Formats: sequence, structure tokens, C-alpha cells
Amino acid sequence: MKKKMTNQDKTFWAVIIPVLILFFTFNTLPMIKGVIYSFTNYRGYGFYDYVGFRNYIDLFTDARVGKSYLFTFKYALAGTILVNVLSLIMALGLNSRIRFKSALRGIYFVPNILGGLVIGYIFSFIFTYILPAFGNTFNIGFLQNSILASEKYAWIGVLIVGVWQAVAMNTIIYISGLQTVPQDIYEASMLDGASKWKEFWKVTLPLVMPFVTINLVLSTKNFLMVFDQIMSLTKGGPAQSTESISYIIYRNGMDGGQFGFQSANAVIFFLVIVAISVFQMTVMNKKEEQL
Amino acid sequence: MSKNKIKIKKGISVAAGIMMVMTSLTGCAQSSLSEKVEVELVSYKPEAVAAFEKIAERFNETHDDIHLTIDSPNEAMTILKTRFIREDYPDIVGIGGDINYSNFLDADLFMDISDLEEIGMVKQSYLDIDKQLEFVPQEGTYALPYAANAAGILYNKDMFDEHGWTIPETWDEFLALCDEIEASGIQPLYLGYKDTWTCLAPWNALAVGLSDPDTCNQVNMGNLTFTEAYRETAEKIKVLLDYAEPNPYAYGYNDACTAFARGQSAMYPIGSYAIPQIKSVNPTMNIDSFTFPANEAEEDNVLNSGIDLQFCVMKNCENKEAVYEVLRFLYEDETIQIYLDEQGGITCKEGDFDIPAELEGMRAYIENDRMADFQDHHYPSEMSVDAMIQTYLLDDSETATDTFLERFDTDWKRYNRDLIRKVQQYQTK
Amino acid sequence: MMREKKKTNWLLTIILILGTVTVFFPLYMAVIIAFKQPSEMTNDVAGALSFPAKWSLDNFKQAMEVTDFWHSLGNSLLITLTTIVLAILIHSIAGYVIGRGMARRKSFRFIYLYIVSGMFVPFSILMMPLVKQTAQMGLGNRAGVILLYLVFYMPMNVLLYTGYLKNIPLALEEAADIDGASTWKTYWKIVFPMMMPMHATVAILTALGTWNDVMTPLVIMSGTGQNTLPLAQLSFQTQFGTNYNLAFASYILALIPILIFYIICQKQILNGVANGAVKG
Repeated sequence: MKKKMTNQDKTFWAVIIPVLILFFTFNTLPMIKGVIYSFTNYRGYGFYDYVGFRNYIDLFTDARVGKSYLFTFKYALAGTILVNVLSLIMALGLNSRIRFKSALRGIYFVPNILGGLVIGYIFSFIFTYILPAFGNTFNIGFLQNSILASEKYAWIGVLIVGVWQAVAMNTIIYISGLQTVPQDIYEASMLDGASKWKEFWKVTLPLVMPFVTINLVLSTKNFLMVFDQIMSLTKGGPAQSTESISYIIYRNGMDGGQFGFQSANAVIFFLVIVAISVFQMTVMNKKEEQL
Repeated sequence: MSKNKIKIKKGISVAAGIMMVMTSLTGCAQSSLSEKVEVELVSYKPEAVAAFEKIAERFNETHDDIHLTIDSPNEAMTILKTRFIREDYPDIVGIGGDINYSNFLDADLFMDISDLEEIGMVKQSYLDIDKQLEFVPQEGTYALPYAANAAGILYNKDMFDEHGWTIPETWDEFLALCDEIEASGIQPLYLGYKDTWTCLAPWNALAVGLSDPDTCNQVNMGNLTFTEAYRETAEKIKVLLDYAEPNPYAYGYNDACTAFARGQSAMYPIGSYAIPQIKSVNPTMNIDSFTFPANEAEEDNVLNSGIDLQFCVMKNCENKEAVYEVLRFLYEDETIQIYLDEQGGITCKEGDFDIPAELEGMRAYIENDRMADFQDHHYPSEMSVDAMIQTYLLDDSETATDTFLERFDTDWKRYNRDLIRKVQQYQTK
Repeated sequence: MMREKKKTNWLLTIILILGTVTVFFPLYMAVIIAFKQPSEMTNDVAGALSFPAKWSLDNFKQAMEVTDFWHSLGNSLLITLTTIVLAILIHSIAGYVIGRGMARRKSFRFIYLYIVSGMFVPFSILMMPLVKQTAQMGLGNRAGVILLYLVFYMPMNVLLYTGYLKNIPLALEEAADIDGASTWKTYWKIVFPMMMPMHATVAILTALGTWNDVMTPLVIMSGTGQNTLPLAQLSFQTQFGTNYNLAFASYILALIPILIFYIICQKQILNGVANGAVKG
């Protein structure tokens, strides 16, 4: 029962085959190569040997890599929650009966269009010089020292910059979500005398749930891959407390001669991202159905 | 059929259009002076860009057949390694005598240049340093040592003269001096530990005085542990914090150079390579230096000095003659003088060169060859010993030193596993 | 009821206006530092926040020279624009073919999943092999970077286009088919123009991603003498040494082009982004 190749089919295949070749060559093929390199002690240049699963075994016993995973997860979790809460609040505010609506929306989106690296450099200066100046003048203890120099709190500095940039995008997505909620639902609930608070939980949130899913998946993924902010704010310091996984793969893989070992790290990182995304989507899909 | 033809034609023309855009982008600026032999040198010292621009200009003025390009990119080591990964090799690389040299040599990237006459003009001690950097002894010579640096303590000479402070020769005298400086209301040291590598400056200067220059090799051969070798260094580097700016982890190398240049501290434990940077902030500053007095007895002190810049020829370089001509030019006394005038430092060439005024205090050590190479030139960069030291300095617990030294030993074994096996294989052979 | 609806919530408006400080403050700092001279940099609050003594463009002129501004800007423009044009042409037809094909054949369903799952592949796993591969193929340059962007953005854009396709009635294509138009022609004449809103979204999302990206140009073409704007910032960071004013002037220069673009096309950009979320 073979279907006849129609003219349309021919065109379709003529289009899709080159696209597939392109995608395979620059996405799948390097990924396969990455997996192969992960079984070697390659420095990136010169000769190399296959070392079996040594890199993978090492990964699980490497305190520095472990620390970078902990940091990245902590950062992604805090970032995702903060960004989603803040941008949902922002979206509610920007979607309510206010003046200068479009101007305000426009302004709040600005952080998103600016490059992470340059923003990082600017914030680095503010953290190192401006905030301590405020701290000293007004005698605010915790501001007197640069937050980026503190082993305990440097990650919060990185988080502030990451959130500052990410809120913009998520706010816009939430606004468009809120706009899909039909106005008459609110009018109906208002007649019932539902409080604003109740209205949000019972009416608004369930209706924008699909957008919560999009935002959660997107922001988790972006926060997990944090790189620019680390590069410009802390370079992984102080005391290796802000080394993200992407940063360590770049730093040690390209610069440090751990091409093979960091390839293994990247493979694990990939699996982690897939696992987290799939998990989020299944859980959220269930939630969406329930509501 | 004809419909199909049109379809294909259109497809081809779109594809061709894309190809054309692409090829026009790949066609990078090929220089039109193709008659000349191109020699590309990549130097890892962006701070020496001015000196190299002058040198390249002079070379190109005097040579009709060879065109020399010298690049001094920022983050040069990463860029160089990325280029090696891409197998896009320059002709000559200007790198330091450090672990990168060892690795590149081990990866068989460099050409044996022992037939270059200039090798005979190099001071023996620097050729020895390069030999020590070889993982397993190689035949031949693979680098032309150019400039050396010295690290210890830089001090503000005018400030010292004004207060009548004397140069310390032992660890106790050094601490006493720090107390004295502090008592007069001046901050003794500025550290700037935000850029982790700056932590290595005092570390190296202390370690050369307190441990065997062959420590890393001894560890690789299984004769020694770092816990034994580095305990005193680790304890002493922590003491420096008491005399430095509060929270040194907030400030980087640039900040520290600026602060020292502006007289915010009397001393700065760093290498001679920082002098041009400091002078760029305060051109009239009077700087002198002294060897880090790490020991209780003066005669045990050793000056920390290593190869700051050396030239290596890539193995697959095609124009050996042209490259040698460039190396000969670089090693002429006049060229070396241009470099020294801009960058300071000590030349690796035998002959009558002045030691810069800023290193006057180290003269005795240099002339009597009481020098040893930076210990960190043997540390693998992916082990990030600099960050480990920063972590240790931030660790306030009582067991900090033990934790740090233990980690040093265990991490060392892990990061050097292949190397240790190689060394031990070589020994048994 | 009706009157209440029109009432402006002034309290909220004021709070939101005050909140814009969080956006403006860092930019304000950057601008005034860029105009100041090193001697004007003080460590007290009043000094740090004050206007520069003189609004001189010298820092900018010097920063332009140091970072080779026009050249980097040209590269950034070239890479971003080429990527956008090719992304719209290639990703839209790929999205169309996959979307329509999926309805009839299982193989296209697989192709769809295969490409879209590429969204989860982090750049870090591809980075090192790609550096080697692009170099071997002679693509360690701007063309290589563009090609890689086309591949990286393919999953998202295909997802967007196939999603949008559901809004385009099949009847139109069928009518064209009866009229004897080829599939190729039908696509470019009928479907492509109808996907206009999605083209805008794809253009904007792709542009924001590529314009600010550091990692790809850093590993693919660093050391080739070609810089993009962000790459130039990274490359010259230490060359500014202690001169924060010069560095900030160069940051401002790097931010200005995209800001201008944003101010001009603000509405389209916000709509485009929102579109992507609703239709995608």
C-alpha cells in the first residue's frame, strides 16, 4: 500500500532534505562527536587516548564540578521562582487600568534587549563602587562591602543581574497571557463579590496556566545555562563560589586542556536539562488539566 | 515536467544566492601584497602591544621580502588554544615559560630550533628553566627565551625614604616593618585578590624561598607531598592579609595597581610585569623592589624569576627561513632594547643590558643567579590553583591549612594522572 | 459599572513609574561615567551620582578607536541581518513543509520532533566539536557563525511557524492547486505572505538572540581579527585597564544601536514577542 509520490511530496522532500542535512551536520553530528570525545583524555590539540568511562567516574567525584552543579541549580531555582513571581506581578500591574500603559511596558522591556555581557560590566561597577559608597555614607552595614567579593553572597549579585534582565521577557509573555482572559469572566466574578485576591487565584491564574508553563520552562533553561553574567561579574569567584556549569565547561574545556573531561560534563549537563524540562512539562500539563 | 524544471531552477537560484552571500563572507581580507612571505606572530602579552607595534614596524621597514604581523590579543591564551583546536596555527607564538609551554611541547606542536645561532646567546639559566618545564626530557631546543621577570615586593621608594624604613631581609624583619608602617598610619600592602591569579604572586614569591624548586617533579615521582612542601608557604601567605586592605577580594589587579600608584599602600607583592601598568597611572612614581624575605635567614632567600616571554616556532610552519629571519631580528640588541624600554624586565640574552631602576633592589640576586622559577609554571591551569588559594584565604576555620593542603595533594593527583603515569613510565624505562 | 471601568488606578501608575528607576538607574550611571574624566571619579555618593563637569565626547571618540567600533558594528549588523533574512526564508518553508507534511505522513511527524528536540541541546555540548568542525570546513568566520545561528534557532522557529500554520486555512492552498499552481509557487505566493506576523516575531526573537550573543563568535571566530560588538567589549576589557570612563563609553556605544532600533520598532517588538508566546 505505498502512497504515490505526488508533486507536492517531491517538493516537500526537496525542501526538507537539505534542511535536515544542515541540522544534522551542525547539531546532531557535533553532539555525537562530543559524546565520543567524552571518552578520551583529549586536550583539544595533539594526540589522545580513549580512557573508557574514567571521565564520567571522575565527574561524580570532582568536588569542583559538584559545586558548580549545586551553584547552577541554586541559581536556576531561585532565579526561576523570582522571575516568575515578579513578572506575574508586573504583568498584572501593567495590564490593569493605569496611565501611560504602553510607555511603561516599553520601558520595562529595555533590560531584555541589552546584552548580558555589557550589562554585567555595568553592574559589576555598581556593586564594587557605587553600593559600597551608599553603604558608607548612610552607614548601612551590609552594603559597605562589595557583594561580589563575598563568598556567601556573590551569587545573589549574579542573581540580581540575571533576574533584572529576565523579568522583562517573562512579563511580556504574561501580559499576552492575561490578554487572552476574556473580560466578561471578571465582570461575572465581580458580581459575585469575589475579592481581588480570590479572583486572582480562582480565575486569572488557572486561565494563564499555559503561560506559566512556557515561562517556567524557558526561564529554567536560560538560568541553567548562565554564562555572560558570570563572565562579566565574577569569573567564577570568589573562591569558586559562582562557577556555573557552562562557565566551567568553557573555561576548562577550551582554556584548561580538559576537552575530553568537559565533554563528559557537557553530556551529563545535556541529560540534566532534558530531564528537568520533561519533568516540568509533564507536571505542568497535569496541573493545567486539573484546573 | 517543465513545472518541475522551473521548481528546480528556482531552488538552485535560491541556493546559489545563499552560497554567494556565504562565500563573500568567508573571503576574508587576503592582503594584496602577496609577493611577500607572511609571518604571523601571536604574543600572549596584550600589555606589550605598543612595544610589538614598534618592533613590527621597524622589521617591515627594513625587509622587502617578508611581512611580519604581530598580534597581541586580550585573553590570548584562550584564543591561542582555540586556534590550536581549530588547527589554525600562526608561525611564531610568544608565550611564557609556563605549563602551557610544557603542554604544547608535549603535544608536539613546536619545531626544534637548536640550529638557530641565537640559541647560543641565551643565558644558560633560562635554557635550564625551559628544560625543567619539559614533562619528559626532550632532545633539542624548542624556545628562544626573550625576557624574564622577577617577582617579590615592589615598594614606594619616596615613601620609604621619607620615613626612613629599611629593606627587610628576613621574615621577622618583614613583619616588623609592616607593623612599623601600619603604626605610621599607612597601609603596608595592597593585594587585589579579585582576579584570582593575583593570589599566585605572593604565593610564588614565598614558595621559591620555602620549598625545593623541583617540588612538582618530586611529587610526580612520588617522593614528596605538597602537604610537606607547602605548609609554611600556606601559613605565611595568610599572614599578609593582616596588613592589607580590608576585603581584598573586592578589588582586582587593575584596582591594586592604581591604589599602589596613588600611594594608598607602601608595598605591593607582585612581579616586575606590573610596573608599566603602575606607571601608566603615575608616570613619575619612584618604585624599587626587593626579594620576598620568606625565610628566617637571609641566605636562604631566593628570588622568584621566570621566563616572561619566549618565542616558539610552530612545527608545521612553512617558511622556516623567513621565521628565522624574524627571530634574528627580534634578538638584535636594538630590538631587545625597544622591548625593555617599553616593558621593563630582564633580558634573557647574554650581554650588557641595564637592569631597570625598579629592580635595583634585586640586582644582587640576579647577578649571583640566586633565582628560581615560578612554582605555578608547573601547575596545570585547569586545576585552578589560584582559585584554590583564594578559597583557602577566605576560609576562616582553624583547619583551613590542612583542608587546603590535602585538597592540593588529591587534586594534583587527579589533574596530573596522565602526566604522572607518563613520568613514571619514563623513569622505569 | 461602566464608569468604574474607565477610572485610572493612579496609585498603581505612580508605583509603576517609580519602579522604572530600577531600569534607568544602571543606565544613568553608565552614561554619566562614560562622560566623566578619571579625575572626577570619587568614592562618595554625591560625587558618584553627579553630572560630569563637561559633556565631552572625547571618551567616546577614544573608545571607538580602541574597539574599532565601526568595524565591529558592521560585523554585528551583517551577521544579524543575514541571519534574520535566511531564518525567515529557510525556517518558514521548513516549518510549512513539516507542518503540512505532518498531517499526512508519519515521517514528517518524526522530522518535527527531531528538529524541535534540538531546543534542549545546550551549546556547551556542541561548542568544542563545532570549533573543530567549522574550522575544518573553512567556516571559522562570519559565515560559520551565521550558519550556526540558522541551526541553533531552527527548533524554536520551526515550532513557531508550524504552530502559526494552524491559522492558515488549507482551502486556499487547495484552490491554488486546482488552478494548477505548483506547491513551490503556492507557498511563496500565498502562504509566505500570510505568515507575515510570524515573520516579524521570528525576526525579532532571532535578532535579540544573535545581536547580543558572545559565546558563538567568541569560540568560532576569535583571533581572526573580526569582532562583533559584544566580542569587542570582551576583547578590549583589560586594555581599558584602570580607565573606567573609557570602558563605559565603549559599553554605551555597544548599547546604542540596539536601543535606537528598539525605540523605533518598540511596538512591533513587543507585539512580536507576545505573538511568539500566544501562537507558539
